[in-house]
Amino acid sequence: MSHKIGLACIIDDDSMYVNLIKKIIEAKNLCNNLMVFQNGKDALDYFEVILNNLDKKSIPEIIFLDLNMPVMDGWEFLENFTRIKNKLEKTITLYIVSSSINPVDVEKAKGINSVKDYLVKPVTIEDLEGIFLNQTT
Amino acid sequence: MLENELFDNVIRDINAGYWQLHTDPDKEIWSDKFYMDLGFTKKELKSNIDHFLEKLIHKDDVEVFRDNFLNYRKNSVNFKQHIKILTKSGNYKLFRCATNDELPVNIKSEVNLIFFFEIKLEPEQAITKDNFYYKETAQMTATGSWYVDFHKRKSYWDFETKRILGYPDDYIPSLKESANYYAKESRQQAADLFFNCAMAGTPFNTEIKMVTANKRIFWVRAIGKPVYNENKEIIGIRGVFQDIDDTKTKELKLHKSMDIIASQNSRLFNFAHIVSHNLRSHTSNLSLLVQLIEDIEDPEEKIGLIKEIKQISSSLNVTIEHLNEIVTIHTNKSQEKKVMRFQDTLSLVTNGISRMISMSKAKIEVDFDELDEINYIPAYLESIMLNLITNAIKYKHPDRNPIIKIKTYLEENCKYLRISDNGRGIDMKLFKDKIFGMYKTFHYNDDAVGIGLFLTKNQVESLNGKITVDSEVDKGTTFTIEF
Repeated sequence: MSHKIGLACIIDDDSMYVNLIKKIIEAKNLCNNLMVFQNGKDALDYFEVILNNLDKKSIPEIIFLDLNMPVMDGWEFLENFTRIKNKLEKTITLYIVSSSINPVDVEKAKGINSVKDYLVKPVTIEDLEGIFLNQTT
Repeated sequence: MLENELFDNVIRDINAGYWQLHTDPDKEIWSDKFYMDLGFTKKELKSNIDHFLEKLIHKDDVEVFRDNFLNYRKNSVNFKQHIKILTKSGNYKLFRCATNDELPVNIKSEVNLIFFFEIKLEPEQAITKDNFYYKETAQMTATGSWYVDFHKRKSYWDFETKRILGYPDDYIPSLKESANYYAKESRQQAADLFFNCAMAGTPFNTEIKMVTANKRIFWVRAIGKPVYNENKEIIGIRGVFQDIDDTKTKELKLHKSMDIIASQNSRLFNFAHIVSHNLRSHTSNLSLLVQLIEDIEDPEEKIGLIKEIKQISSSLNVTIEHLNEIVTIHTNKSQEKKVMRFQDTLSLVTNGISRMISMSKAKIEVDFDELDEINYIPAYLESIMLNLITNAIKYKHPDRNPIIKIKTYLEENCKYLRISDNGRGIDMKLFKDKIFGMYKTFHYNDDAVGIGLFLTKNQVESLNGKITVDSEVDKGTTFTIEF
């Protein structure tokens, strides 16, 4: 592995899931740092602060976004995120990770430019490894 | 007497009134039918020309008839004319009078006759006939006609309009008060329609609520169109009202049950998704965990991970319990309803959460004056009140103590419960569609589970009621339940 991802981001309200992903990332040593937001609003607030004092190190290279969350769900986050992401001057790869298998959700996600792919929970360890590896090459 | 038998027969068949001339004026004969038409008996009239001219014929017709008559008698000059003759009842009847040569039928006679055929005015006959059909149609279809005359500033109703609206036959409709013939909520609609028709000539055909003389509100189809004079000016509006209350009420009922079915359907669909989504999030965690356990070599770490299974299992249980609760709502709805006093249920609820109420310094203002009891499933009423009151306290405004206003009221035969608070409110633009969804929370409270309002909605709807919400951030939230 020539380059390891510096910062990854999970936006998900399921603490058990987040906990497990954290463990996998640690065990497989997939990235240096991981930040977690419990809902879209928290994440969006963070990105808006970053926007004001551009610190590229604080911008994640990869985001895993859940859809069903309280306060601000994944769709609403995406709407706002698409608006500001170009100003962040860094390529951010965004995956939707949801337990929804509703085809309406899948289609909608595919129609959004900033979404790289739609992953249905449960994700496998191999999937995760693949994504992180893919990102670095 | 008639000498010709054929002629006699014809005369009898057509049953005509006639005047048989004679060389001796005193021997002239009027037929029985002629007497009958006039309503007199033979004794009451002298069948001679002087008496006829003097007493019976209308003065307008005297001269012409006298000339014709004398000419016919003396010179056998045939004639025909219209003539008005006085009847016993004091009215003039119109007759077509003709000598036998002028008749369309070929009647040869040895004697001179003047026939009198009563003219029953054709147009009048037609109107009576039409009138009959019109009345039948009006009654059978409950359709009344009306006319508004702009010049006379009067409105006219026919018998059926009066019947539909419950007014007596001699009622004179008032143009000034015409708004009062419509239900309150329909007055603007009526005013718009009539104004547009009167000013722009726009005809209308609509369904509208009207009020009968004894204040019963009912549905009417109102159709109207402008009436023009020769100068193309609108001088009035003519139209009909049809009583469609039966069909309209059925239609509305049908709509309501359709709405209920649609909402039940969407609830079922929602529920299927909830089941799928909620169970899925646990099973996917479980599968992730298993993968991790298999992947990790360190036995101590493995044991640590196995403990996580306990956590997943208990979350799964909670979810299943929630789902169970929802399912039982729909199987429970056959549960017995009881007449519940709102105050009793409220006391029960507030006693149960008295600690929460006193801690939050919440004030509850109650008004059950208009409606103090309801036939409902007791457990639901309790659960609904509990949910809405605890919500109001949980999501109170940080700067003020909660004030919860609870009011019951009646509106158009429906029973309502309204619970409003002065809490932090919900952003309706963002969350309008999500408020009653499962596991939707709108605040950062740790104890927000997102199940309460979902249950409340399900309980209300399972008994064919409705719950609506209105809210403004920083002002407060109002829930209204239509039972």
